[in-house]
Amino acid sequence: MSSSPTPGNASNSPTQASGPASPILQIALRDISVLFRTPWIIISRSLAFIIQLFVFAFLISGLVVIPGRPSSYFFEYYAVGSVVGTIASISFIIGYDIFEEAEEGVLDYLLTLPVSRRQFIIGRALGGAIRAMIYIIPMFVIVAVLEHFNNPASLAAAVLDLFLLAFGVTGLSITVAVSVRSANRFDVVLALLELAVSRASTALYPIAFMPSYVAAVAPFSPVSFAADSTRSALTDVTLNFPSLLGLVAFVVIFLGLGSAFYFRKLEGGVYA
Amino acid sequence: MSNLRLVPLIVERDIRILFSDTFLIGIMFANFGIDLFVTAATFGRLIPQSVLHENYFLYIAPGSNFVTAMVAAFQSGRDVWREKYIKDLASYLLTLPAPRRVLALSRIAGGVARSVIATFPGTLVISYLYGILVDPRVFAAFLIVGLFSLGIVGLSISLSAFASSIEVFVTVRSAIQLYLSFLSTLFYRTDVFPSFLVPIVVSNPMTWAVEAFRSLPHAQGLIGPISVLVIPSLVFAALGMASYLWYARL
Repeated sequence: MSSSPTPGNASNSPTQASGPASPILQIALRDISVLFRTPWIIISRSLAFIIQLFVFAFLISGLVVIPGRPSSYFFEYYAVGSVVGTIASISFIIGYDIFEEAEEGVLDYLLTLPVSRRQFIIGRALGGAIRAMIYIIPMFVIVAVLEHFNNPASLAAAVLDLFLLAFGVTGLSITVAVSVRSANRFDVVLALLELAVSRASTALYPIAFMPSYVAAVAPFSPVSFAADSTRSALTDVTLNFPSLLGLVAFVVIFLGLGSAFYFRKLEGGVYA
Repeated sequence: MSNLRLVPLIVERDIRILFSDTFLIGIMFANFGIDLFVTAATFGRLIPQSVLHENYFLYIAPGSNFVTAMVAAFQSGRDVWREKYIKDLASYLLTLPAPRRVLALSRIAGGVARSVIATFPGTLVISYLYGILVDPRVFAAFLIVGLFSLGIVGLSISLSAFASSIEVFVTVRSAIQLYLSFLSTLFYRTDVFPSFLVPIVVSNPMTWAVEAFRSLPHAQGLIGPISVLVIPSLVFAALGMASYLWYARL
């Protein structure tokens, strides 16, 4: 199985002719179209977001008391956090796709495509992150409208935070997908990971109210990095450099790990 | 061998499937742990006792266990779905020397047994928190979890009979789980909801289950808290059985 394009393939493929970035884009576009071909996932995740925001957050914020803050504070806090939590959740889906492809034999077909292994892996991670961004934008707009976030620079910084989180979680999901062999086990490991990084984070509640054993680990959750950085950008109109740095480190580590594991799986340990 | 003697054998098969991967049970308990010791503990600190006139952590604690029971109960429906569409086992199961009604009944009983086993540590933890661990009311606690699971297993088997793809199954399951979790008194009392949502909340099986559990420390007898769950759970179980029989037509 060759990873370099054959002359015939190259001449038939407009992607090869239009420069080295195109195969990556083609792979990414495929992942985006895969998500939109399965609308059930989008429906269930959207429904979860809407109920969480307009039922749970709305009702619970009437009960929450944070000294020195108005009663609407928790709703506003939770709304931004729920966007961050949802993008983490949707970014995990790429792992399910990769696992299914390997099980159903589609991966073998994908490897015959005239795309190098490196381009293939970067394309998968990029596709996972972009489709999560496409999916989250309407929810982000709802929260921005509700909370009157209208500073273009703040909005751009928040979108960058969300993209970085999506990119990193995609890498994490790929790492798990290629490391776990049993389908049932993979389902629950990913669900547990998703729950752990979201719940033990500052996305849904302030760190000051967490029990000490959660407060000790929550600052290191990638979802905390993204939530803190996004809140700083949107509400304080500042860049939260420590969180941003943590987010970049998470992306580098898990994208690197995801790529390395995926390479190993594709080539039996021989890197392309 | 009489027909009813086959029931424990079929239930045993379902339990063996659960234990075929003990890691899964561990993960379910880990989910429960995160729900209780992270989310519920934090919300317990965010909502002072003066607002609800009770400890909010203890208020939502039984919900963490019922969420685990719900996940375990839906896993039974998912297994039934996989047997038909993925593993192609439905034909084999129908050749077993068990009448279809006994088979359907046993599958539901197996699902309940699995759910009670998966929530066993969680039920003990919540019973301890409620001060009923070394008290006959602990049996009522397990009975409430079992009855709730019976209803959800029935519902999940009905869903598995009508869902043509795993995506449909997962989406409908998510919608039911959202309804059970967020439109019930799991997180907040009925008076917190807008009046138009109240009928939906009070007719939610999760509401009946968590309220039954919350009433245990003050209950004089065991029948009162349990009775509210019996009829709806049996109705859902009957629905699940009818759906399984319908689904078993080849």
